[in-house]
Amino acid sequence: MNRITRLVLQRLGSLLATLVIMSFIIFMLVEIMPGDVAQMILGQSATEEAVAALREARGLNDPVLQRYVRWVGALATGDLGESIYMQGVAINSILWRRVGHSLVLALAAFILFVPLSIFLGVLAGVKEKKPTDSVISFFGLATMALPEFVSGVILITVFAVTLDWFPIVSVIPIGETLFGNLDILVLPALSITFVMFGYVSRMQRSSMISVMNSDYVRAAILKGMPRRYVIFRHALKNALLPTITIIGMNMGWLFGGLVVVETLFGFPGMGSLLMTAIKTRDVPLIEACVLLITVIYSLSTMVTDIMYSYLNPRIRYQGGQR
Amino acid sequence: MKYLLYQLKKHPLAIAGIAVMLVWLFLAFFGPNLVPFTHTQMDSDHQMVAPGVNGHLLGTDSLGRDILARVVYGSRSILTVALMTSLFSTVIGVIIGFSAGYFGGKADTAFLRAMDILMAIPPLVLSMVILGILGDSNIGSLTIIVSIAFVPATARVARGVLLTEKSQEYVSAARIRGESHLYIMFVEILPNTTGPIIVEATARFAYSIMMVASLGFLGVGMQPPTPDWGMMVIENKPIISNAPWAVLFPALAIASLVIAISIFSDFVSKVLIHER
Repeated sequence: MNRITRLVLQRLGSLLATLVIMSFIIFMLVEIMPGDVAQMILGQSATEEAVAALREARGLNDPVLQRYVRWVGALATGDLGESIYMQGVAINSILWRRVGHSLVLALAAFILFVPLSIFLGVLAGVKEKKPTDSVISFFGLATMALPEFVSGVILITVFAVTLDWFPIVSVIPIGETLFGNLDILVLPALSITFVMFGYVSRMQRSSMISVMNSDYVRAAILKGMPRRYVIFRHALKNALLPTITIIGMNMGWLFGGLVVVETLFGFPGMGSLLMTAIKTRDVPLIEACVLLITVIYSLSTMVTDIMYSYLNPRIRYQGGQR
Repeated sequence: MKYLLYQLKKHPLAIAGIAVMLVWLFLAFFGPNLVPFTHTQMDSDHQMVAPGVNGHLLGTDSLGRDILARVVYGSRSILTVALMTSLFSTVIGVIIGFSAGYFGGKADTAFLRAMDILMAIPPLVLSMVILGILGDSNIGSLTIIVSIAFVPATARVARGVLLTEKSQEYVSAARIRGESHLYIMFVEILPNTTGPIIVEATARFAYSIMMVASLGFLGVGMQPPTPDWGMMVIENKPIISNAPWAVLFPALAIASLVIAISIFSDFVSKVLIHER
């Protein structure tokens, strides 16, 4: 069995274990905490009979293990269950549209920050210790340190309140789709770009510096090749590898960041759905969101690892050596 | 000490970072007594007034509460939680990572598997879900949950540095002398690994501030009436067109503190790596 197949199988196994353990912990946590979902749906003024009837109807009186097993069984057939708080709406009917929105937002941010930070990182690396480098490096350090909502708030103040170019909140009007309202994506995507830019450009800068100081690059320059050609053809190929790893490693921050950014802008994505689910103690909905985030996150780190070993012939051909 | 001063002179940015950190520490301790208003006092005649009106240096929010007083008071909880979190997650990480790396074999495999599972969920999502379900967060629960979310990262770093030291001769010497495992791990090896561990702890400090601020922003951090910087941002966001200062100043407070700490931790890692 070759290395990549083994890596994929190992990762999938570990992902499955993670999903089982996490979902069980969340089920148990909700169980031991005070607070009654049925009471919450009906409000404080509801009669005891009404609460009891609702608990019975939703199957909330069964032992927790039985409910867990029932939930897992349904999950295996692709049924995510019904939202408790939203009066039994099937989660499948609300979740996927939200996930689609989040992925579009993540993709928009990705398209913005990857080329931008690689380009500026290369620029800073080539102009090491010159003013260009200092400005880019300080900007990178500063944006990396800012939580998404802080840069988001600054962006809102400048571009939405003062200049009035983009809307303050990113809601989709009822009856319209995301693609008819693409302007709402700009500020949320920029907020995510800010955070990721710091990590990626710093990594790109330092790997560029080490590659530019290597013998083969010096040889190419001394040979009289055009500098531009050496930078993009010889140096960048090797300097990109660590950057790809760091982009993959930061996917976790990106998904955490999505929750924050979606909450700030009121963007109808998966993160804001998870936030609502937590506030209303809607167990099936929390489970569905957390499991989905875990799956997407694990798959994206797996893809990064595979891409890394594909791009790096030293790992590709050495087989098991790691 | 002389070496430290020399290094500080070489990195003027680090001086600015340390100065900002010290200002925040000072404000956290003494600030609430120096500000003319308290963090819960509502000035009902001056709601959403601009900075400077009626002695409100940074303006007021929609309930007429003084932004300056709330920002200054809010520094207490975030600094406490972030300091304790970076301390706890480093200590726990060192204990777990050292044991796994030191004993190796099955213990190490079990450790790596467990960390894979914890790391499969973004730390922010993990903490917000657990804190949200637990409800009514306080300094204690915030510290514990954020520390747990950070342990996989710190434990991995600790395990890594232990593995580089483990094969050194002084370790075998101690083993032949018949020292106990605990003695070898914490008296022989630990002092030789303080550099990378301190670097990790200061970096954690910056991450903790970001994390606690984000959790507060998501509404699962400190509960009202305690002012929390992140919470102030989200609760004042609806009035951002009329009173941008109510949102901007807490956001700038977070920005200044995190950037200062990042510059500081950058400096620490430069100094400690130079030393080696």
